[in-house]
Amino acid sequence: MESIVFGIGITALAGALATVAGAAENTESDIGSQGDPNSQVQLAPQMGYIHRIFNKAVAGEPPAYGLWIVLGAGIAWAFMAMQINPILAIVLGSGIAVFVQGVYATTAYLGRTASLAKFGQPVYVDILKSMTTVTMAHAFVAIFATVTLCHLINAALGHPFPLPLLGIVWGIALGAAGSATGNPFYGKERQYQNQKFGAGVPIAASGNIVRYAEAGERNSLDNGWFSAKLGGPASGVCFGLIVFLELWRTVLFEQVGAGWGAIIIGIIMILVFTVIDRYIEVWARKNYGPYTKPTEEGSS
Amino acid sequence: MSAVAAKPTAGGAVDMTAMIIGLIILLVVIAATYFVFGSGLAFMALIGIIVGGILIGFGVHFVPVGGAPAAMGQAPGIATGVAMLAAGAGLAGLFGGAWAAEQGVVVATITGAIGGGLMMAITCMFVTFIYVFGMGIPCASGKVAKDPITGDTQAEFKSQGTEGHGLPFVSYVGGVIGGLFGGAGGTLIYLMLLDLYKEELPAMMNALPGQVLPIAVTLAGMFAIGMFLVNAVLAAYNITGTIEGPHDPKFKRFPRAIVASAVASAVCGIVAIMIVAV
Repeated sequence: MESIVFGIGITALAGALATVAGAAENTESDIGSQGDPNSQVQLAPQMGYIHRIFNKAVAGEPPAYGLWIVLGAGIAWAFMAMQINPILAIVLGSGIAVFVQGVYATTAYLGRTASLAKFGQPVYVDILKSMTTVTMAHAFVAIFATVTLCHLINAALGHPFPLPLLGIVWGIALGAAGSATGNPFYGKERQYQNQKFGAGVPIAASGNIVRYAEAGERNSLDNGWFSAKLGGPASGVCFGLIVFLELWRTVLFEQVGAGWGAIIIGIIMILVFTVIDRYIEVWARKNYGPYTKPTEEGSS
Repeated sequence: MSAVAAKPTAGGAVDMTAMIIGLIILLVVIAATYFVFGSGLAFMALIGIIVGGILIGFGVHFVPVGGAPAAMGQAPGIATGVAMLAAGAGLAGLFGGAWAAEQGVVVATITGAIGGGLMMAITCMFVTFIYVFGMGIPCASGKVAKDPITGDTQAEFKSQGTEGHGLPFVSYVGGVIGGLFGGAGGTLIYLMLLDLYKEELPAMMNALPGQVLPIAVTLAGMFAIGMFLVNAVLAAYNITGTIEGPHDPKFKRFPRAIVASAVASAVCGIVAIMIVAV
């Protein structure tokens, strides 16, 4: 009984850390324009719209976060093998991983922006100086929280994978969950704030991103502030739920029915999320649109 | 037919010569494994790796991925890359499957499948949540007139100048099925390699089984992740960009990916086997 209570406590803590990690990850990637909306940041100067948005998308979020978190986890693991206190080891590992992220962000911004020179897009050194440290700070929170939850899973819950392997698994999952949930909010709602609310961006408007703020030109810190209001927290809750429910069903129900208990609970949870998804979809159909008259044969 | 005219159909066409060469490579690798290692654990591991690779390659085709256009609400699907999303789900499944490895192959593989499916179910639900409540955009498919599962018409909810947006219910179901296949495939590869390494490593390293267990787990996990990425990326090339799910015409390309995944898994598999069995 005591071990189950301990397991649930660790599960809750890991879920909370994952929530923080997801929120920080999405905000970091939006400040750096690393997710799919980067295509518009890259496209804008080619369409004649010069901007001051940071652009470091030389890798997708999942592989980039896979790298940074496995770096943090691997270095922390090595420090722990040298008998260094786990908390200090994780802080040091995350710190070194963040420096790699900083080098990555700097070279990616310079490289991507310099490639747009023939379209007249300047490389702003003040942008590089002010944005890189902000993405590094957010990345540190994401890496530290994820490496810590991996350490908890390994050391407290007894998962067989060593820390670096857990790092790559949850790093890629973090990037996947964060980019899936947060990207549309940054891409549509922020980059195309000048387009109609409640409709997709017409393909003809591609590249015409919003470049001016309340005062002066918009920069990526403004974008971080905006996406931290919904995209970031939603990504955090998404990743937090993934980690929490995956651990919860294993810790509580793995011993029930020789492993089948966890499977049945997993199926029930998938069905619950399916019902919620369908409810949201139907709610949207009732409340938004239709944009054109329904036809007998539907669309072509 | 000129080369220009042939282009649009080339994406979905099956190149028979390439398929036959692929199948020959596959058979050669299987036969070589059989003759060198016999019908023991190594041969079973190779078969398990090939089956796991096929499950991953097939499963990726179900995952609704819209890439960059989805991030602007210009096309339906999840706004990220095919291989990466599938990898995220599959690795979450592998995590669960590896934890349940002691419960036997069947339970562990199904646990891995459910882990991948659960990750996709939560992610897809949040995608719909963000589209509907964050951006005020309903779900609409650009590829079919009616949702094949619910029968909902799609065209009147598609905003002007876009190919559709969000995740229609069939895409949601496709995402979950993709996660199930990916999780099961990754876990199967891991379990097969783990059994082989646990058996072979003690004699090879002259150590007790308990001492080599962490090495066996790590090696099997690394190979499973590596082979997962190989198969997911292969399937992503087959899809070329974006796919809405099982109702998308691109889904019909899956036989090509199955052959490619089987060949790639066999070649990677024999390397993973040879590091301990030679």
